[in-house]
Amino acid sequence: MAAQLTQHDDRVLYLYGISELLPAQMPKEIGVALAKIEAVECSGIVCWVSWVPRIDFEQNLARNMENLDWLAEASVAHQRAVSAIAKQTEILPARFGTVFHSETSLRQHVRGRTRNLKRDFERVRGADEWGIKVFGIPPQPALVPKVNSGKDYLKAKAALLPKRREAQNNNADLQKFEDALKRVARETAKVGNISSGQRGLAFQTSLLIKRRDQKKLESVLTKFSKGWENRRRIECTGPWPPYSFVSRTEGEESE
Amino acid sequence: MSAPRGSVVFAGDDVEDDLSLLDILDHVLNKGVILRGNLIISLAGVDLVYVGLDVILTSVETAMRHIVAATLPPERK
Repeated sequence: MAAQLTQHDDRVLYLYGISELLPAQMPKEIGVALAKIEAVECSGIVCWVSWVPRIDFEQNLARNMENLDWLAEASVAHQRAVSAIAKQTEILPARFGTVFHSETSLRQHVRGRTRNLKRDFERVRGADEWGIKVFGIPPQPALVPKVNSGKDYLKAKAALLPKRREAQNNNADLQKFEDALKRVARETAKVGNISSGQRGLAFQTSLLIKRRDQKKLESVLTKFSKGWENRRRIECTGPWPPYSFVSRTEGEESE
Repeated sequence: MSAPRGSVVFAGDDVEDDLSLLDILDHVLNKGVILRGNLIISLAGVDLVYVGLDVILTSVETAMRHIVAATLPPERK
């Protein structure tokens, strides 16, 4: 039940996301910082929260974010909590690390955004987020023909190079792939740059896919992966809660 | 959609172990509702690209172990 929350001086309210309805069953998972996941009603909307230690999530948040062990535990817990809630009811996820000093400040900010939130609920209804990554598979090193001298070897090796570059630079197929994905997705979104440094990553996107269109996504992926055998590899993750499809109103861009 | 087909690698909700921290961060730090105000901390511009993949994989394993250990119903109770 959405109950009145108790105020804690050494804790802040961590927001997982917002739902339109309280589900029949509350998620049983443990939230961030091993805190209980609670629901609180604000202006007819359900906010999913936990009371988390002020010292970790307010005072030292920036520093903690750079501590991979801390970040891993907290972000995995965040994802598990949001997923658990998403299994019970549709949720607009909050970004990792959104905290409020008090229930009053949470209520105030939700109240100011009700109209946008309602619109976002319509956008994501009946759909999940899927992550797509395409990696280039490095070509097998071509065998240099038998030669008699070191000079001939280098010449033969150099002759093989342009071919390899050509294969790597041909991205027309990626464009086709992206177009095919756009046809099955309700929306697409640019992915953050967290994993952009991954070796061989050639393309990355997030898709909002209606649940009834999942088969369509699957067939696009299967089709392209067959065509790309030994050249490119597709990684698909999901279903995710619709993290990337919550709009930001003006002035809310990250700083 | 969890079984591998052809060269598509599927990972998802039900096969959490296959999700890397990179994937999780890509999604949870990307967007999401940001309710701004002077009382709110929102995280942005955190550049994690420099982080080595090995480190990230190790730390997600540790994180999973901690969380799973904490959420398992204690048998002794």
